Amino acid sequence: MLLPLAFLSCSREVEEVPLYRQYAARQDLTVAQVKGFQLCDTVKTDVVILVADDSAAWCRLKEEFDIRTSEGVTSWMGNIEQPAQRVKRSVRPAWRAMAVHADRTVAFYRIDTEEQRQALLDYQMKAIENEQ
Amino acid sequence: MNNMTFDSIWEQEEQQGLQQRLRQDYPAWLRRRRQRRTALATVAVLVVAGFSIFNFQPSTSKDYDYVACNRSGIAESHWAKVASNILTIETL
Repeated sequence: MLLPLAFLSCSREVEEVPLYRQYAARQDLTVAQVKGFQLCDTVKTDVVILVADDSAAWCRLKEEFDIRTSEGVTSWMGNIEQPAQRVKRSVRPAWRAMAVHADRTVAFYRIDTEEQRQALLDYQMKAIENEQ
Repeated sequence: MNNMTFDSIWEQEEQQGLQQRLRQDYPAWLRRRRQRRTALATVAVLVVAGFSIFNFQPSTSKDYDYVACNRSGIAESHWAKVASNILTIETL
């Protein structure tokens, strides 16, 4: 009797984060949410990715997120409800935002814990080591 | 035969008749119980198998739980790769 109930309760539900929902309806953006992105064996985080479909959309996005540079990568710690608003690195929860001009992309990595922040740094460090 | 004797014999006959009926019905009852248990076991196996199949996730290098996207036709793995690549780009 309990098995079918267990089956139903385990069925995967797509839980959308508010940031994804906020931008998903936009016609000028391709928006994706990666739930449970693995930073290391034990740490996961949610990632929201916004890709501007053209340069006009990218200009709008830059304006919305107050991105003033025009090349390379711009990163900041954003308020969890208003990611454009910059917050101190110690604030939790927060978004670690990275805007890549060449790809017209902004990615937001959710940071809830110190463990996640450290895992994100370790992920980047590992990338450096692999490059060398 | 007085009433007492009649009642006693009647009761005895009734008990014996009941026991005999039980003896006759016991194999059929055993068979029905076996069938019921087999059916339950089959259903349980089917449910577990179905559960395993629908929740099967290959233990390969999938580094995310799931992906949602507002556009169709883009592979889930693409977005996981984008999330990974951006972390790499900043370090270069």
